[in-house]
Amino acid sequence: MQKCKKCGLPETYETIEFNDDGLCNICIQNMFKAESIDWDKRKLTLDKLIEDNRGKYEYDCILPFSGGKDSTFTLYYLMKEYGLKPLVVQFNHGFMRPTLLKNNERTFKKLGVDVVSFTPNWNIVKKVMLEALVRKGDFCWHCHSGIFAYPMHIALKYNTPLVLWGEPSTEYTAYYDYRDDEIEVVDEQRFNRYINLGITAEDMRGMVEREPGDLDPRDFTPYTYPNIRELKKLKYQSLCLGSYIPWDAKSQSKLIMDKLGWEGDQVEGMPPKLYDYEKIECHMQGVRDYIKFLKRGYSRVTQMTVLDIRNGRMTKSEADKLIADYEGKKPPSLKIFLEYLGMDETEFNNIVKKTVVAPFEPDFSKDEWSPETWDFDKLYREKN
Amino acid sequence: MGLRQTLSRKELSIGIIDIGMGNIGSVYNALYSQAWDPILVKCAEDFDELTHLIIPGVGSYAAAMKILGDWNLIDSIIDFAAEGKPTLGICLGMQLLSDVGFEGMEAKGLGLIEGETVPFEKIRGLSFPHIGWNEVLQERTHPILNGIKSGLDFYFVNGFFFNPVYSDTIIATTDYGQLFPSIIGKKNVVGVQFHPEKSQTSGLKIIDNFCLWDGKC
Amino acid sequence: MLKKRIIPIQLLLKGRLVKTKKFRDPRDVGNPVMSSKVYSSQDADELILLNVDRAADSVDVLVSTVKDIARECFVPFSVGGGINSLNDAKKLFAAGADKIIINSVTFSNPAAVTEIAEFAGSQAVVVGIDVKFIDNLYVVFSNNSKIAESVSLSEHIRTMIRLGAGEIFIQSIDRDGEMQGYDINLLKTVLSESSVPVIAAGGAGNFGHLDQALKAGVNAVACGSLFNFGDNNPLRAKAFLKNLGNPLKRIR
Repeated sequence: MQKCKKCGLPETYETIEFNDDGLCNICIQNMFKAESIDWDKRKLTLDKLIEDNRGKYEYDCILPFSGGKDSTFTLYYLMKEYGLKPLVVQFNHGFMRPTLLKNNERTFKKLGVDVVSFTPNWNIVKKVMLEALVRKGDFCWHCHSGIFAYPMHIALKYNTPLVLWGEPSTEYTAYYDYRDDEIEVVDEQRFNRYINLGITAEDMRGMVEREPGDLDPRDFTPYTYPNIRELKKLKYQSLCLGSYIPWDAKSQSKLIMDKLGWEGDQVEGMPPKLYDYEKIECHMQGVRDYIKFLKRGYSRVTQMTVLDIRNGRMTKSEADKLIADYEGKKPPSLKIFLEYLGMDETEFNNIVKKTVVAPFEPDFSKDEWSPETWDFDKLYREKN
Repeated sequence: MGLRQTLSRKELSIGIIDIGMGNIGSVYNALYSQAWDPILVKCAEDFDELTHLIIPGVGSYAAAMKILGDWNLIDSIIDFAAEGKPTLGICLGMQLLSDVGFEGMEAKGLGLIEGETVPFEKIRGLSFPHIGWNEVLQERTHPILNGIKSGLDFYFVNGFFFNPVYSDTIIATTDYGQLFPSIIGKKNVVGVQFHPEKSQTSGLKIIDNFCLWDGKC
Repeated sequence: MLKKRIIPIQLLLKGRLVKTKKFRDPRDVGNPVMSSKVYSSQDADELILLNVDRAADSVDVLVSTVKDIARECFVPFSVGGGINSLNDAKKLFAAGADKIIINSVTFSNPAAVTEIAEFAGSQAVVVGIDVKFIDNLYVVFSNNSKIAESVSLSEHIRTMIRLGAGEIFIQSIDRDGEMQGYDINLLKTVLSESSVPVIAAGGAGNFGHLDQALKAGVNAVACGSLFNFGDNNPLRAKAFLKNLGNPLKRIR
């Protein structure tokens, strides 16, 4: 497998392209971000955007919030820099971990904000997790779709046109490119381009129904992007904070730990203490990372070390050691995931096998497990 | 040259000429989806409250001009444009802005921008009509191109093109065996040879830009 | 320069999308309006919607689906499958189709090709040709691969162009759904006979196959299976193809 000469991301990484020097487009995009974007001008644009919306609507903006490092930083930054009145909108994917919940309570109470939280029907969630796993090798469809569609419904309901997200996708993938020097719009186009894995809620309903019409279409509303005409009438603007200030996940995490007491957590399969600010929100993160490893031959350890390499904080050989020691082991939560979906590991392997990304070939016979996290027993069990 | 909105969105009234030629549904749908409420224009009275006019078109120059004449729309269009109101011709609609067209038989056009509509030179190795995605290279800036980079591709279906008298009316060109104008403009009148309603996001942006334009350059 | 086109094929059966193998065994893959929107967001250059239903009302269902798609998708699209007359074609154009694809009617009533071309222009008429490779010969089939026609492939292409076809949509029945690659020999044969653009269909299983077909000289590549299963989409296909020097549209 070809890998980027600078950061090490392999060719199976989504949207990656290598230039003649073997450098990947994500690295190149990020170099442009560091060297060629006029961030001062961008900040002035943000100042104007905020002022144009301040006090005019029910809220100054909608702030989609997961409680991870990016959304927590986004909320903190906007409150401190501008003293806004945001409506924080949370989409509960069903696997929120205790540390995350504690962090959120602390964040909301310290900053003083209105919060709306939505939890979708668990029976539907189970059905679509299985379907998404089979079709795309990614069971998180309900989460991707819900997180990006649901806040837009809230924007319409609360007549609040400005929706502010955190990091721009161009920080990590090339669906959008810093080099285009444009503000990434978080719209339906982007939603259909890759967020929903190419499956809309309407499609998904048809796919999981046993007979046409046996599922209530309203159960799929949270995953459906609202009508563009309604959003345009609202004059909606759905933008990333990271298009106006240069994103730096590591320093931003330190900031929220310091100022808000935000706590990290151990994620299954990750080297302890090293990246405990990353992806701590979800009990199923370990399974997600494991599937990625089987499909593409790399996973979270690679992705995190890549960022450090790209920013000059780690050498490739240090990264390679961490990857060798930690990456690719089975997460204990896999057992519970299989319970939710009512299948065994063999079935699971057969499903994932069909979604493997060439040229990688996984080794399904490896049977090494990563240790349980401290809150493993807190996971919901269907047999309760 | 900017997008000064002298009227609020609610006061804008976008008209689309509908003479039953080709499918104007796509143009209508494109506008509707962007939260405009376009009006189909079929007679002189329909012009009354309009702030903007779009002339779409698919088919032949002579046939289109005949129907416009039969339905008494020619003078209304010319008067509308003379009042300085934003007027957009799409595909055949752009060609109709010319003085005369040579598609089959010679036919008189609307004469809003000096020039004639002529067939492509049949260059060996190229198939005609010109169908598909091709680059639009901007020679000048124009309000309808706000936020659109030069060199982006748009969707064309044309066997003829607009040959203007004055080169400063050429806003953008496209190459298909020969260079031809893909966007022309004179004061409040502008024409695009490609189909913005078929050119995905950039096309929709051009339509939006037009609707927000006050007709001044 | 005119760009090459990547065209996802969507098969329609009673208002839903399906996927077949060798033209048999349909399997549900989604909602045509949503799916079209998704493909358009993923930089598809055109869409092809083929109706595999042959029930009496299938063209009307097709018309209704086309209207729904036209309301939300702003990219060129062609429709085919069971179009038997100028009247059918008129309904589809009025509903919003940019081009129609006709196949069986080109044998049962070839005059229809000219009628439709005169009504909408030949650029709106795509003639679909399905072939099977039998005893070292490309045999042309009609009626959803059920009837073997006696006319030779070359003669059929020439006749269709003479009657007004604006594009040829060539599909290999043998390769359909197999994901083993296009029949490049077939493509080259068609290209040597056709003065109008050629769209290749049937067999694409990976992006390399698309590159092979484009480099063989076709104007456009159409695929169904490739984008319906696995993690593939037009965006990724285009990144791959661009890296290999194929000219593709830029819209941002």
